[in-house]
Amino acid sequence: ISPKKTYRWTRAEVDTTLQTAKLDAAELLPAAHCLRFGPGAAGDVCLLELEPALCGRLQAGHSLEIRGDKDEQAVLCSEDKTYDLKVADTSNVLLFIPGCKIPEQLKMEETHSNIIQTEIFGFSNKYWELRRCRPKLKKLKKLLMENTYEGPGSEKEKDSSHLKYTTEDLLDQIQASEEEIMTQLQVLNACEIGGYWRILEFDYEMKLLNHITQLVDSESWSFSKVPLNTCLQELGPLEPEEMIEHCLRCYGKKYTEEDKICRATAQMLLQNAVKFNLAEFQEVWQQSVPEGMTTRLDQLQGLALVDRQSRPEIIFLLKVENLPEGDQERFSSLFSLREKWTEEDIAPYIQDLCGEKQTVGALLTKYARSSMQNGVKVYNSRRPIS
Amino acid sequence: MVQIVISSAGAGGLAEWVLMELQGEIEARHSTGLAGNLLGDLHYTTEGIPVLIVGHHILYGKIIHLEKPFAVLVKYTPGEQDCDELGCESSTRYLVTALIKNKILFKTRPKPIITNVPKKV
Repeated sequence: ISPKKTYRWTRAEVDTTLQTAKLDAAELLPAAHCLRFGPGAAGDVCLLELEPALCGRLQAGHSLEIRGDKDEQAVLCSEDKTYDLKVADTSNVLLFIPGCKIPEQLKMEETHSNIIQTEIFGFSNKYWELRRCRPKLKKLKKLLMENTYEGPGSEKEKDSSHLKYTTEDLLDQIQASEEEIMTQLQVLNACEIGGYWRILEFDYEMKLLNHITQLVDSESWSFSKVPLNTCLQELGPLEPEEMIEHCLRCYGKKYTEEDKICRATAQMLLQNAVKFNLAEFQEVWQQSVPEGMTTRLDQLQGLALVDRQSRPEIIFLLKVENLPEGDQERFSSLFSLREKWTEEDIAPYIQDLCGEKQTVGALLTKYARSSMQNGVKVYNSRRPIS
Repeated sequence: MVQIVISSAGAGGLAEWVLMELQGEIEARHSTGLAGNLLGDLHYTTEGIPVLIVGHHILYGKIIHLEKPFAVLVKYTPGEQDCDELGCESSTRYLVTALIKNKILFKTRPKPIITNVPKKV
């Protein structure tokens, strides 16, 4: 298309063109747009395809951010969601035109047979395309584990050369929205100490938890109704109050405290050896949790794996957070650990891969092959595992 | 990490533009570029069908309400006054200049306009 260099200002000229083109003016709306190219945008212009929710955010005045290191796939973040960002090419040309009206709008207005002089702002054959994705949060735990908090008295705290991260620092480093990062910090039981986000070193966290459980036991309180002030008074001399309070907040929620505590106790036991005799482990585990709590193997989903094929039956630590983040890599890693999995066993280890449109079943169909073994459906790898 | 901020002009409301999609590419006929050049006349039939007359061609198209609207982003280049003693801010910014919720798509082959040839007498 090679545009001509004439302006058409008059209705008469437009009408002449219509006649030449053998179009009947009676079949057309009276108003017409005369399109010409504007001076060209001063600077780069591009088109970003939006999900309707994002459109609303922008209209309300909110911002979006594109984040990524040079070697990473870029993502776009709103306050609470993360999207993969890709450039889409089209073989057509897209012109963006301010002040151009569509028929619905013209029909609502007065029907002058006027010429609407319209300037094309710019054009492109590309646009940015978004697809909602899982936030890339694995890096968050990795960063915070670089320098775990062992208590205020620890030598580490006196050495300021160790890396610590504020919320701003994390936003700079993690390809995720702020809300997704904050939620994950809660999941990780991270604590903001002196403005920095810290993960408690496991033994220190257990020490705090033990103080609380012993006090709860001796006072015969219910875990869901721990009187905060009394607790802080009693334990204040032993540990900083903020840390006691943090521990209570992480473990003292009504509906999960028993499960969380049993789970943490199991982790403490399991991390000291490669594997455990299942029966022995279950006995020790039950004895190690506070009075009144009941241990159950389903509390250990995504934390430990039971092998019922071995003799004796064993259990070992397998934490989902330590597994690869990518879908194919995750499956490869699971299949190299164990050749065949039941859906019940593998589900906790792929649950976090499920996005908005992918279920556990869909993932298994994509990355695994199923077969029957002793009347039970099992899944193995589609590819040979080296 | 590279951070590019896409900010909106504010809650004052964003202008709504229209996207027009044409087949092929746009070239300037003269070396002086496209600015000021006419593309053509856009009409709508009473049924709402867009008709574009470009040079000696007529194109018939359709209006599409976009399921996924577009934002028009213009890269922001800081002016002199925005730089402080440390230099201009190094992060890139885009300003959302407008939203696009409708597209005029022309994907049929253009029909040439045959002008009357004077008959030989």
